[in-house]
Amino acid sequence: MESVDGATRSLPSIRRLSRGLPFGRARGRFGLSPSGRLLLPRNADSQTTAFLLRKHWALYSVTPLYKFSSAHLKAYAKLLSAFIAAEKQKGLAVEVGVELDIKVAVTSLPDLKGSDQDEDAILVQLSLRSQAYQKKSEEKLVWSGWFCSVYGDDLSKNMPEDFTCLPVFLANGAESYTSIVGSWFQKTFDCCFHRLAISPLSLSWMAAMWTRCKVDKTASAMELVFSVPHLPQPLDILYAIHPEDAKALWDTVQKTPGEITQEEVNVFMDCLYSHFHRHFKIHLSSTKLVKVSTAIASAHCDGIIKFLQSQYVIEVLMLLTELAISQIE
Amino acid sequence: MDETVIEYIRRTVLKIPRKEIKIMLQKWGFLSRSQLQTINFQQTKENISRRVALLCQENSADIKEAAALDIIYNHVYPNKRLWSVYQMNKTIYQMKEKETEFFDIRDFKTKFKRKLHSALENVTINFREYDDSAIWIRIAWGTPYRKPNQYKTSYVVYHSQTPYAFVSVSMFRSNVPLLLEALVAASNYNHICAMELRSHSLNSLKEIVFNRYSQNFQTYYPEALQEHSVEPESEPQIVHENRKTKEKIQGMNQQAFWDCSLPKLEYAQYKLETMFESDPKMGVLHRKQPFRCLVKFSSPDLFESLKSLAATSMAETSLSPLLTCIPQKPMNNFRITEETSLISGRLSTSLCLN
Repeated sequence: MESVDGATRSLPSIRRLSRGLPFGRARGRFGLSPSGRLLLPRNADSQTTAFLLRKHWALYSVTPLYKFSSAHLKAYAKLLSAFIAAEKQKGLAVEVGVELDIKVAVTSLPDLKGSDQDEDAILVQLSLRSQAYQKKSEEKLVWSGWFCSVYGDDLSKNMPEDFTCLPVFLANGAESYTSIVGSWFQKTFDCCFHRLAISPLSLSWMAAMWTRCKVDKTASAMELVFSVPHLPQPLDILYAIHPEDAKALWDTVQKTPGEITQEEVNVFMDCLYSHFHRHFKIHLSSTKLVKVSTAIASAHCDGIIKFLQSQYVIEVLMLLTELAISQIE
Repeated sequence: MDETVIEYIRRTVLKIPRKEIKIMLQKWGFLSRSQLQTINFQQTKENISRRVALLCQENSADIKEAAALDIIYNHVYPNKRLWSVYQMNKTIYQMKEKETEFFDIRDFKTKFKRKLHSALENVTINFREYDDSAIWIRIAWGTPYRKPNQYKTSYVVYHSQTPYAFVSVSMFRSNVPLLLEALVAASNYNHICAMELRSHSLNSLKEIVFNRYSQNFQTYYPEALQEHSVEPESEPQIVHENRKTKEKIQGMNQQAFWDCSLPKLEYAQYKLETMFESDPKMGVLHRKQPFRCLVKFSSPDLFESLKSLAATSMAETSLSPLLTCIPQKPMNNFRITEETSLISGRLSTSLCLN
């Protein structure tokens, strides 16, 4: 699996995952039984989450934004719009040919968060308005990006007043727009964007966490994709498990409801690896896990996520917030 | 004159890479040399295609000519299609007769067309023969109420000296039984069945299947090859003088699998329905039902990558027979149930096929 260094670095934060599960378990120290205040996850309604389902989002970690205020979103939209227009003038245009007008909208999404301590998520949308059509209905959404934080207390609790913590950034649309919007935010709020890769260790956590969720009859398989890149001819191995059987296996592995340990994730993965080895005599554990896909979501090691069910969006965002924070720290 | 035919020809030309258009039109032979000289092949493909369309209009091209161009295109670029392999047979007594039969191409074509037309009026059938005794058949399917759709065609490549046919169906899967019936009737066989072998690489499929075919006559024994060990001269994995690696490779060489030059396959797929076994101490899953999963290996050249994988510590020296049996079976789509004995490493021949 992963190198020792990587494992040591991410383990402390991964261990925290077992504390913050939205089962109604209290936020206490690692290993304690539930007691004290119960934490009920905020269930983002399907209207809010409709825009983010079934799209591929590129992941970034963002350092805290300096002097950002959700009261000035309209102003930010205007400034960003002017910035994009200027970039186009400079010849860094993204569209060739017909003169197209890019409209910028910046809105807040108060539902996409974990606790009340989290900042409201911020959504930036770029739409194309062709000058041939003056009507508003002729706008076409070409790029979306949003900042969010779900149970990101570990980052925000020690931050001075002037800083806004929204460590996760997700982008969908042309790479060129992402870099223009990213550079404006970096210049304006003195923050840093970094591509958020997902390690095989984190991917196996996601596989275990997402397998445990109840599935209906039509749920898709739990898919793991492994890559063996350094061969003269690269080899990809897809290992797809029937969701009922994957869940049955996980249910026998998980010892304590409401809590997941690294040990349990290892046993789960080892079971899958040994079943594979029995048939093919290949050690999957020495190959690179590059993608995990379940009925809830899919994640790729290059830092790409796809949400498939609205009721689990917050949980997935919580995992991503953990990963983003550990990259920032 | 049918404008749809001209448009179809134009779109076929658009599929061809610009550098190859002239050669393909020459192969086609429908446009005269002087007509070809009037085409500027340096301009955009869009413009070239329009010029060709104009010339075809002048020549009053019909569907037969259009089909011929499509067959040529698919013959040069067969890897754009997914091919399945079918095997035909007769009873043993009839097989002996079959070997001495003289193949009559006209008879084949007549019977094939007759069988299809008896079931379906609206169908376009075209043939083209090639030097390697391959007959390419192009079929465009219609319905009782609609003319054939020239853009969604099925192809059959039949080598008349063999019982094998390679079929690429495209969209209308419901027409497959009729197609297979026509093939059997035209080629004077009794039965046809699907082999669990599919690939985009038509040539690889041919290599796999024809090697086996000739082996049947040569009574091929894989055990005999264990004596023969080949030094892997160009094996890229032997970089460092790691004795263990060298031993591994020599171990590999003892298997017939590694001795053969292997054809190029892009994938092997296994539907597993075997029981999940684990160390009872782990206290995990013990069910009566099978653990259902699907495994798919993909690579630009599957066998090459498996060979190099086996030389690393990621795999055992001797790979599972599930992988090494692919060329011999030949299959690349498997369904494995508990009936196949896996533990001892021997694969029984009674695999339950899809």
